[in-house]
Amino acid sequence: MYWVSMLLRRLLQGLVVIFLVSFLIFTLLRVVPGDPARLIVGGMAPDHLVEEKARELGLDDPLPLQFLHYLGELVQGDFGNSFLRPKSGASFGGSAYDDPTRGERAAVLDLILDHLPLTLQLAALAIVFCLLISLPLGVAGGLNPGRWQDRLAFFTGSLFVSVPNFWLGIVLTLLLSVKLGWLPSIGYKGFGYAVLPAIVLAIEMAPFVIRTLTVSLAHVMQQEFIAIAPVRGLSRWRIVGSHALRNASVPLMNLFGVQLGTLLGGVLVVEFIFDYPGLGLLTINAVLQRDFPLIQGIAIFISAIFVVINIAVDLAATAVDPRLEY
Amino acid sequence: MTLLATPGEAASASPDRTQALSPSGRMLRLAWSQAFFKAGLLVFSLLLLTALIYPEVSGVDPTKMNYRARLVPPLFFGDWQWAHPLGTDQLGRDVFVRCLVGLRFSLLIGGATVVLMFSVGCGLGLVSGFKGGWVDTVIMRLTDAQLSIPMIILAIAVLGVSRPTLPAIILVLGLSGWPLYARVARSVTLAERGKDYVRGERVLGASDWRILLLFVAPLVLPPIAFVAVLDVARMMIFESILGFLGLGVQPPTPTFGNIIADGRKYLINAWWIATMPGLFLLVILTSLNLMGSAMERARNQVLKGGA
Amino acid sequence: MTGEGGRLLEVRDLTVSLQRMTEDETILDRISFDLGQGQVLGIIGEAGSGKTVLARALVQGLSEPLTVTAGRVTYRSRDLLSLGQAELAKIRGREIGYIGANPAGSLDPTVPIGAQILEKLRSVEPGLGRADAKERVLEVLAAVRIPSPELRFHEYPFQFSGGMMQRVMIVDALVSKPAVLIADNITQALDVTVAAQILQLIQDLRQAFSTAIIFISSSLPLVSRLADEVLVLQDGRVVERATPSALTSAPRHAYSRSLLRRLPRIWGGAIEVPQARPAPTLLEVADVAKSYRVRKKGSFAGHNEIQAVRGVSLEIREGETFGIVGESGCGKSTLTRLLAWLEQPDRGRIAFRGQDLSKLGPAALKRLRRSFQLLLQDPYGSLPSHMPVGRIIAEPLLLHDRCRRAELSQRVSAAMEEVGLDPSLETALTVGLSAGQRQRVNIARALVLEPKLLILDETLSALDQVEQSRLLELFDRLQRDHGFTYIFISHDMALVRKVCHRVAVMYLGRIVELADNATLFDNPGHPYSRALLSAVPTLDEHPFKTADHLLDGEPPSPVHIPRGCSFRSRCPAAQPICASGDPESRPWGAEGSVACHRPGAYGSGAISAMLGPSEEVAHAQSA
Repeated sequence: MYWVSMLLRRLLQGLVVIFLVSFLIFTLLRVVPGDPARLIVGGMAPDHLVEEKARELGLDDPLPLQFLHYLGELVQGDFGNSFLRPKSGASFGGSAYDDPTRGERAAVLDLILDHLPLTLQLAALAIVFCLLISLPLGVAGGLNPGRWQDRLAFFTGSLFVSVPNFWLGIVLTLLLSVKLGWLPSIGYKGFGYAVLPAIVLAIEMAPFVIRTLTVSLAHVMQQEFIAIAPVRGLSRWRIVGSHALRNASVPLMNLFGVQLGTLLGGVLVVEFIFDYPGLGLLTINAVLQRDFPLIQGIAIFISAIFVVINIAVDLAATAVDPRLEY
Repeated sequence: MTLLATPGEAASASPDRTQALSPSGRMLRLAWSQAFFKAGLLVFSLLLLTALIYPEVSGVDPTKMNYRARLVPPLFFGDWQWAHPLGTDQLGRDVFVRCLVGLRFSLLIGGATVVLMFSVGCGLGLVSGFKGGWVDTVIMRLTDAQLSIPMIILAIAVLGVSRPTLPAIILVLGLSGWPLYARVARSVTLAERGKDYVRGERVLGASDWRILLLFVAPLVLPPIAFVAVLDVARMMIFESILGFLGLGVQPPTPTFGNIIADGRKYLINAWWIATMPGLFLLVILTSLNLMGSAMERARNQVLKGGA
Repeated sequence: MTGEGGRLLEVRDLTVSLQRMTEDETILDRISFDLGQGQVLGIIGEAGSGKTVLARALVQGLSEPLTVTAGRVTYRSRDLLSLGQAELAKIRGREIGYIGANPAGSLDPTVPIGAQILEKLRSVEPGLGRADAKERVLEVLAAVRIPSPELRFHEYPFQFSGGMMQRVMIVDALVSKPAVLIADNITQALDVTVAAQILQLIQDLRQAFSTAIIFISSSLPLVSRLADEVLVLQDGRVVERATPSALTSAPRHAYSRSLLRRLPRIWGGAIEVPQARPAPTLLEVADVAKSYRVRKKGSFAGHNEIQAVRGVSLEIREGETFGIVGESGCGKSTLTRLLAWLEQPDRGRIAFRGQDLSKLGPAALKRLRRSFQLLLQDPYGSLPSHMPVGRIIAEPLLLHDRCRRAELSQRVSAAMEEVGLDPSLETALTVGLSAGQRQRVNIARALVLEPKLLILDETLSALDQVEQSRLLELFDRLQRDHGFTYIFISHDMALVRKVCHRVAVMYLGRIVELADNATLFDNPGHPYSRALLSAVPTLDEHPFKTADHLLDGEPPSPVHIPRGCSFRSRCPAAQPICASGDPESRPWGAEGSVACHRPGAYGSGAISAMLGPSEEVAHAQSA
């Protein structure tokens, strides 16, 4: 009963959020300068063609009407078609307005779903690497506040958070790929190509995990129930292993929900650096080419993922700590 | 009385000079007592001073090309030529001076952005937390919505379609970063709203605005401002990412991002053009983050230690 | 095993220090005592005397910077302080159980209590099978009278009330059948009637489990009721050791004498109580009610209605001190907020000097606010930490009187002097001030506008006894000098006895009895009033035997209020008539009233049916 009502409430809230996101990104893209119709038909096309295109795409309608129209299609699962990308795949720019292939443009949703698996693979690998780095550091730091373990966690966190991800990508490519030849780096021809980008992402995320884990574990270790647990007869191993870590994991889960945006932002840049053909690269190219429907579609899709993952995080956190039920 | 409270209580009962200080004063003192904070401050001040003075004093123009001195390696890899400590790029421009000028812009953008997002975010967060009701609901759904689009997507979407000028960059980064501040300010305000001193003011007949501005804001804002240094560093990274994507301050003005993007093309035969500015940025950001994290710790200690 | 009365625990010269950078501070100074088989040793000491440190030092439960620097703790000829972890594990938690003062924080909040007790039992008795262990846990859960133990076994700590959680902790300690139980201030966080239940329970279990108990408390009456022998602890030193009767009748040490002298007197010939006298009405409260809607757990849009205040009527007279007493959750804080007009009642009216507050416009209300002030409970949360003391006291003047700077500072200094604050504190921040000083700042801020009515919401409960009595004197003086009227909200019956002219007793949002001081304490009409009085820890000879008036169970939640008389579910004198309807207030005593169907009736059979067999014996003996 609780789960159902909670899911319902959160899904409704999520819908409001997604609606706001669509509205925000829609208006944002319409009020900034730049004429999409001109973009589609090509820079050298005569003015009447541009106007015709604008009419065809409904770009002449008032803004609220355009938005309602877009929402209507969105509800039916239609994210619209890309301005620029043909059905076959590869993007092309160019100014030739009479190119015959322009008629067949790719559906935004298809583009997103095509690129999603690679990004998921990258994100999953990055999370694994991140936990490998930060769990030992964070746990050691949280259990020994003020000692060298704590300082190490503190310094590593401060150092990692200061690394510009794109620069790290370049440096690692230069060292591990170009000089040493250990790992492939540019493009994607197999799983190995995901390793370097995942390392960069992991280093970007690790400081948040380290800091949260250190702070929350140190906090839990000061709780009364931990302090009196040895007096009740529990062993140190049990106290830390099954009580302290359990309680410290809740803030960590919440962190994941909040920092998901950072992770996705990192994915964007890292995919661009490594020319890794996932959602991030798709986004950057869409922006650089001013492919409005694609940008809109991706933003809405991401906010939907965000909503779903945050609900999942809340459910998981509630399963660990039932006090969070509300 | 819990066991762990015992030593703390006993400790706070002893005469202590920090006792007479306001919370912010105690935070500063605690931050200063950490070695990491001092180290960060030292490195940061040195680099800042260099950035302010060196380009003027040396008279080296960061945009001046010099074809006879192209691709000179850094000091410690070449012939120990002090003229170009970090080497030169493909056009013979001095990498060190370009980094220093880049640093000026980076700090300017980082600082201004944080001021902007602090003001907008905390302002809305205070009102949201204190007023509650539909105001709170509206503001919180807005932050949810904005948090669910990665900030960087928002920034490049806007800057990608419009022209990236300095004010535009500050505005876009600042406006995309406010929701986190709003959330923090709101949650602290919510906690403060229930405190007895607010009730006391209400009984006296004070208006909401008086309570908010005179009592709640002065208590809520300093601890938040205290760790804003961390966000200055974060914003500097964002600025460099934008520059790298070609969406930052436009060339010929050097920024960390566009220097590294340029240097990337010469990575194989002149690795220093891309890596040295990054290393330089890494050092300054680490110094900032060490200071910021130390301040964050100090703040948490003071806030946890009671009123 | 040593024989009956043999020594179980020997403590010799136990010394504990707090280690600091520069010097060590001695927290416990050469403590020595013995504990015999089945004996109850009481340890009494005030806050800061080192009682909790002692409790934990006995079982190596101290953590840095506290360390044992000298002495021995011998349990059955093994020195506990020099045992290794493995050896210690066989004793700690198994043969020596521990119960602390804070039941709510004593278990992992994210794991059901049953699983945690099971975990503990199987940690200290590794040979025990899972099923056997669970059976034993359920057995002991039933023994401490937790209703439906099988269900509650699977519930989480936050689903238990304070009293029930303390029972759970008793189970946790006793489940391994320890020879020694350390009970450290176990009733401190509980309401008096619940504390009385717990105390009764400990007395019963002591026999059932034949456990020796070290009972630590700051309340001399509690300790002397339970203990065979009492240690008096002052600043980490044992200053006296005596039997309870010897200690209370002929204390030898000066500190013990002062402890005894400072005990509040509630009954007895020598005490003087404030007399109610007629005066014009200052504040009139008529049939005021307030309920809150909270979201129902596990529903999409359902709400629960919490009826916090249900139809309260009273009249506060000019110049009197009016007490409102009741246990947590009785609605007295909500009533306070209504009286201070921080919230508006759902129905009913509150009138100050005949002016209905709900009919006043904002400006008139603000003017009227000068006349009534609220003094809050928490001396730490009630003062903004960023303002100097002088500025805080000046705040009401800045809000209400546009006076000149010179006059402002003069009035601030006058107020500070009146409450006994050092003038040098005017520019100081509140950070370094003691709780008592902070309350004085609050008082100065309240009286700077020269109000008529002061609402004191548990204002003294965070202070120690010395500071309490000083502030009481101050309040008394202010009442004489300025003719203040006080509404005194408290859970402390002894304080109420000392200062209030008339008292209202609240239970579940209603006033169940309203009486003058003498009537309430000597001839109360409501069974709840008698239960409250019987549970007050005191050494005074008093007419309310605990066993006659002990309440059953816990207060019901204000969401599900029993039908008929709302006190029916816990009343030892409940009869069929009580289910018929909520009793109207009827006159009782000189000028009081009581809301009960059978005012003055005593419970007879109900109590013995509720208690276990061991009680019946005790009951018979006491009767």
